Amino acid sequence: MKTEIQNYYSVAFEQEWPGWLAGILIAIIALMIFLWQSPWGIAAGYHNWGDWFYYLVGAFDERPLNSWLHPVSLSDAGILIGAFASALLARQFKIHKAPKLEYAKGLVGGILMGSGAAMAKGCNVGGFFSAVAMMSAGGFAMMIGLGAGAWVGLRYLLWEMEHLPSQTVYSKPQDETESKAFDWTKIQPYLGGLTAIGVIVVFYVYSFADKTQLGGWLFFGFLIGLVMHRSRFCFVRAFRDPFMTGEAKMVKAVALSIIIYFAGSSVIKWAYLQEPTMGVYHPFVLGSLIGGFIFGIGMLLAGGCASSTLWRVGEGQTKLMVTLVTFTLANSLTSKFLLSSGLGDKLGKDIFLPDVLTWQITVPFILVFFLAWVLVAMWNEKTEKFVVF
Amino acid sequence: MNLEDIKSDNMVDTRGLTCPMPLLKTKKALKGMASGEILEILGTDPGSKKDIPDFGNKGGNQFLGMVDVAEGHTRYFIKKG
Repeated sequence: MKTEIQNYYSVAFEQEWPGWLAGILIAIIALMIFLWQSPWGIAAGYHNWGDWFYYLVGAFDERPLNSWLHPVSLSDAGILIGAFASALLARQFKIHKAPKLEYAKGLVGGILMGSGAAMAKGCNVGGFFSAVAMMSAGGFAMMIGLGAGAWVGLRYLLWEMEHLPSQTVYSKPQDETESKAFDWTKIQPYLGGLTAIGVIVVFYVYSFADKTQLGGWLFFGFLIGLVMHRSRFCFVRAFRDPFMTGEAKMVKAVALSIIIYFAGSSVIKWAYLQEPTMGVYHPFVLGSLIGGFIFGIGMLLAGGCASSTLWRVGEGQTKLMVTLVTFTLANSLTSKFLLSSGLGDKLGKDIFLPDVLTWQITVPFILVFFLAWVLVAMWNEKTEKFVVF
Repeated sequence: MNLEDIKSDNMVDTRGLTCPMPLLKTKKALKGMASGEILEILGTDPGSKKDIPDFGNKGGNQFLGMVDVAEGHTRYFIKKG
């Protein structure tokens, strides 16, 4: 009995979950968020945090919405906490240090992603993943931009490997005192369990304060963080791996997730359970395309996108903590600039695909489009036609 | 085969580096090696524990195994095919 429970624990919380399973779970949670209130995103929460920084230093006049009353800020916090809990449950939480060059790449990557997400009005989640499921034309433009940006970013990484001296962090040998010190890994699973209970308690607190909907964002974010960390789900890989190792696994997982998410959202929208044009606000074509391109370069430098930055911070990666800070600051500032200069209006306008193509064509078009993405990625895995090195 | 006894012909140190750098360096190192030679990779990225074995078995190469050492990093071994 005890060993059986230990085995289940290991499968659930220690071993890595397969990407396709995570893809299905993330699509289901994203649909729940859509039904709960509105489509899932990440960058809007970063935007809110950045606005607070500028407000507090006196650069912005307008007081931003309290972060604990901002739905996306709450789900972002939930993702971070969920990944933290998951890392603890797996006894994997550890502060990971990185060489100087990596911190620099994290910093620049964050700036690029922050400004790209401001232009595209969404990161790879709000601007691509949710956008295509919501049938916003901008989502497809951003996808092309992300792919091109990933290609450029990968070329840079290859150049860096050839031309810059390689740096590593030499882990210091464990000295006597350290090994005698308290063994944190033993109690990590209990701390992880307590963290999960804490999130549920906070949800109830929101509910008692008549803010159940907001509490739900935190809870759903927590579930996503847990799933993403368990599976190391990474949107970056779907764009990078076909050029790098040729591997199509993450393309398949992301495409599967999108197809389920889209299928659900088309039922919800076509049946008017939610406003059909909800979640369609992406600037087609320039904003999404150029924003996606800049974002794509940034995510290769940082080694994480908006969502995987959050879960990597949750497991203790210091490089991505730098990215998180510069992402929020750049996103808030660029958004402000695009708004006040009027440039944002010139980047394009939101297009709801069924308005242009009709419902009857949009639905099969999107399904075929993502199936084709998978087929091309599988063909590339065999032939390595797109692999750059 | 006992991993501790493996004599590697080439080594890449990716300690402190995160995805995708460990995999890129592994791929580059393997390219310059002769068939039958063994590459040792040192790493600390949690993601490498799945990525390197998966990648190590591709393209005719063989992933020999990995071992966590007391210093806090992991040693991986790949035999070039």
